[in-house]
Amino acid sequence: MEAESEFKEYYAKNMRGISGWFNRAYTIERWLYAAHRITGILIVLFVLAHFYSTGWHPGLWWDALLGIIVTFHTANGIRLILAELGFAVGKPLLIKKPSQRPVSIEGVQRYVVVFALVLFVVLAAIWAYYALIVQPMMG
Amino acid sequence: MASEEAKEYVLPPEVLEETVKASEELWKPVRKIKFRIYKYNPRKDYAPHWEEHELEVSRGMTVLDALLIIKGETDHSLGIRYSCRMGLCGSCAMMINGKQMLACQTRVLEAAGSGDVVELRPLDNFPVERDLAADFTSFFEKHRAVKPWIIRNDEVELNNPTGPYKQTVDEYARYYQFTDCIKCGACLSACPTAATDYEYLGPQALAQAYRYIVDTRDDGLDVRIPIVDTEHGCWRCHFAASCSDVCPRGVDPAQGIQLLKKLLIKRKFGLKPHKPAEALPAKVKAEKEG
Ligand code: SF4
Ligand code: SF4
Ligand code: FES
Repeated sequence: MEAESEFKEYYAKNMRGISGWFNRAYTIERWLYAAHRITGILIVLFVLAHFYSTGWHPGLWWDALLGIIVTFHTANGIRLILAELGFAVGKPLLIKKPSQRPVSIEGVQRYVVVFALVLFVVLAAIWAYYALIVQPMMG
Repeated sequence: MASEEAKEYVLPPEVLEETVKASEELWKPVRKIKFRIYKYNPRKDYAPHWEEHELEVSRGMTVLDALLIIKGETDHSLGIRYSCRMGLCGSCAMMINGKQMLACQTRVLEAAGSGDVVELRPLDNFPVERDLAADFTSFFEKHRAVKPWIIRNDEVELNNPTGPYKQTVDEYARYYQFTDCIKCGACLSACPTAATDYEYLGPQALAQAYRYIVDTRDDGLDVRIPIVDTEHGCWRCHFAASCSDVCPRGVDPAQGIQLLKKLLIKRKFGLKPHKPAEALPAKVKAEKEG
């Protein structure tokens, strides 16, 4: 009975839940949103281990993966700070075109997205270089 | 002279012919499209099911036109909501092939693209009323929660206005974009934050809060801060910008929310966006009227 009413409620409420974060229909910002949240959760998990022993790290390939997670969160975080403090989203319009696309997505913000992604790749590459080449050499 | 002006204007025959031809072209059936429609009545059905209808569609036919034909001819029980049929009332937003759109503003062939199936669902993240109609109760409550009206402290002037409030075009431009909102719910439905946080105020309400806060006639910033500056308020937004992506009216709620955050931070430093506008003095008005 309990299960049945929960089942019914699920359809009546029609809430997407976490699966709603992942949807191909929208713009790239949606993917960055999902990735930012997931990397954020993973970083918190790592920080717990880091508190337990600050010297601990997962090692080699895992280190490189950790680098991808951290550098993505950093680079995208810079974009989010700019956008959410209202610096990269443009100004409200007085005149709209018949099928106006949003300025906050397709204005300056798009360049900030590109900047954040490039920054991410560069930082992740540097991190991976240290994790995969420099660290093992130093033993 | 006057009689000449009153003469009936008749379209030149070649223009008339062209117009008729163009409209015939627009309404001529061109392709068979399959409509997959979500059928569900939460009060009666155990679970939703899909129904399929095939229809010959023309280039000009909107999804709403098609739905009305289906409702009239094959499935009278189909639940849909619409009124204006021209993108002004915001009643007919639904998921058309997985994205929030107005049924009356989306042509079937545009939605189908190169495929021949159009899938219709009620708006995500809204309770289902029946079939394609969503329940907007909590959506309107959220809208009402941000006090979407002009708040002022000058009771006397409000009750006995001596003249209109002053406002320049630049000041008008700060909020005009957001006044176009038709409360269709597409933005809240598309928002990934709303998919997991039921109480999130949502892009529509937050953009309207911003619209009233930056209106120079309004003096309600401090009244609205405790409403929007909360756990389920503007700080829940992390700029996925899907709300602006789907908005059929170019309201760009994502922009409004980020500007609202900027405003709240400025307020923490003691800055206010504007002084509430004064009414144009009665003397000037009297002088103008001469
Ligand atoms: S902001 Fe746009 S999408 Fe949201 S309710 Fe208003 S018109 Fe609809
Ligand atoms: S910008 Fe904010 S309100 Fe709009 S979809 Fe993204 S999280 Fe939701
Ligand atoms: S019927 Fe009014 S907006 Fe579609």
